[in-house]
Amino acid sequence: MSTEGGSVVPTTGELKTAPDGSILGLHEIRKSFGELVVLDGVELTIKRGEVVCILGPSGSGKSTLLRCVNLLSPPDSGRIVLEGEEITGKGTAGLDFVRQRVGMVFQQFNLFPLKTALENVTLAPETVLGRSEGECRKRGEELLTRVGMADKMHEYPDRLSGGQQQRVAIARALAMDPHVMLFDEVTSALDPELVKEVLDVMRELADEGMTMMVVTHEIGFAREAAHRVVFMDGGVVVEDGPPSQVLDNPQQERTKSFLGLVLEH
Amino acid sequence: MEFIREYYFDFNVMSDYMSPILDGFWLTLKLSILGGIFSLIWGLVLAVLRQLPGKPLAPVRWLTIGYIDVFRGIPLLIVLLLVSGGLSTLAAPIGGDVLPDFIGKPTWFGETSPFWYGVISLTITYGAYMAEVYRAGIESVPGGQMEAARSLGMSHSQSMRHVIVPQAVRRVIPPLLNDFIALMKDTSLVSILGAAEVVYVGRQIQSDIFNGSGLVMGAILFLIVTIPLARLVDYMIGRQQARYERGIA
Repeated sequence: MSTEGGSVVPTTGELKTAPDGSILGLHEIRKSFGELVVLDGVELTIKRGEVVCILGPSGSGKSTLLRCVNLLSPPDSGRIVLEGEEITGKGTAGLDFVRQRVGMVFQQFNLFPLKTALENVTLAPETVLGRSEGECRKRGEELLTRVGMADKMHEYPDRLSGGQQQRVAIARALAMDPHVMLFDEVTSALDPELVKEVLDVMRELADEGMTMMVVTHEIGFAREAAHRVVFMDGGVVVEDGPPSQVLDNPQQERTKSFLGLVLEH
Repeated sequence: MEFIREYYFDFNVMSDYMSPILDGFWLTLKLSILGGIFSLIWGLVLAVLRQLPGKPLAPVRWLTIGYIDVFRGIPLLIVLLLVSGGLSTLAAPIGGDVLPDFIGKPTWFGETSPFWYGVISLTITYGAYMAEVYRAGIESVPGGQMEAARSLGMSHSQSMRHVIVPQAVRRVIPPLLNDFIALMKDTSLVSILGAAEVVYVGRQIQSDIFNGSGLVMGAILFLIVTIPLARLVDYMIGRQQARYERGIA
């Protein structure tokens, strides 16, 4: 993955690249919607190349946390440090910095309906990075081929299945050469038989060393693809560790009861 | 009965005055098309201004909302009288010659000042109506579209231009056409300023020979345009409905 463009956020003396090699640090993240406290002081650091799956009951704040990371829904307080640069409290400079380095894939795909699969992938690199049409097209074709959509490049989203749309959405996010990818319940809106094709693409990305934050209900995916599993409840991280520990030998009562409910069926 | 036939449907009157009536209707069409095009553009500008994000731009949003509220809420006739009176006075000695004649008493492209006052007033008023239609269209685009665009690093204005507005416009073509039909009918008000559009011509015939057939002829000409437009709107709404039912937005 290329890192051209350089920093748009000025580096001040106290903000150095985290010494532990972390690419993303979330510190004391709080977020409320009116009276409802959704994130209540989340602490989480993620290393380069790490795949972190976030589990938790609905309403635990896991999707909100992802949306905080790329400032789609900025935290009320707390610090987000990306590649050693604090992005919170920087206004548009922080937005530009994070959105060009962090890609996101949504539960509802959110493909642009008036654009073909290829146009979906090339739009942002063309308009945001100002790359030439030919260059974007070439890269877009590469990415779509990589997610198995080579034969559907010129189809409009309404002609694609949910799984196909989601794979295009992944290619679209990758076209911005992100350093971190956020996945927000990306298989929840899919018919069961389409889940695997999307998870396979994500697994390949993980194998190639992409740093990934994955909010999911797919325990199986978490078990085999994640380096770490984070269990959230009530707006805080309850348990955090390797899958073998969190999934098979949870220490916290809340984790146990959640996994009991999820693994039952 | 005989009176009705003679007063409203005297075909001799219609054929005798066919030429001035058609000239009048041609002016009606020009008013409608120019007013329509400028309203479409001005309405979109207003709608986008109204949706600008962030606290610092709040005054722009308030001003835009105020404008839309005012011009949706007052009769076009008042706007016509104020625009024509104001512009012509400002270009006259009594108004201090503030405006040069080519703005205060415009005769661009060989059209009369009343014609241009009409186009300006229609744009002011119908821009406000159409802004509301566009707004409904922008708001009907699912929020995930803006989020997806923003998450890819596109700015608010890039997202509006490349993602939101194209979808919004497609959704509101039928209601915009409805507004265009209303605008076309309202061009008749410009006759009050002396623009010789079809209603003005009809009234002159009426006062000259005490016969309403010229006005009826004008009404028929309106219907020839507006009924097919109304059918087109119905057809487009039906097609859109079918698309929604197939799950395509």
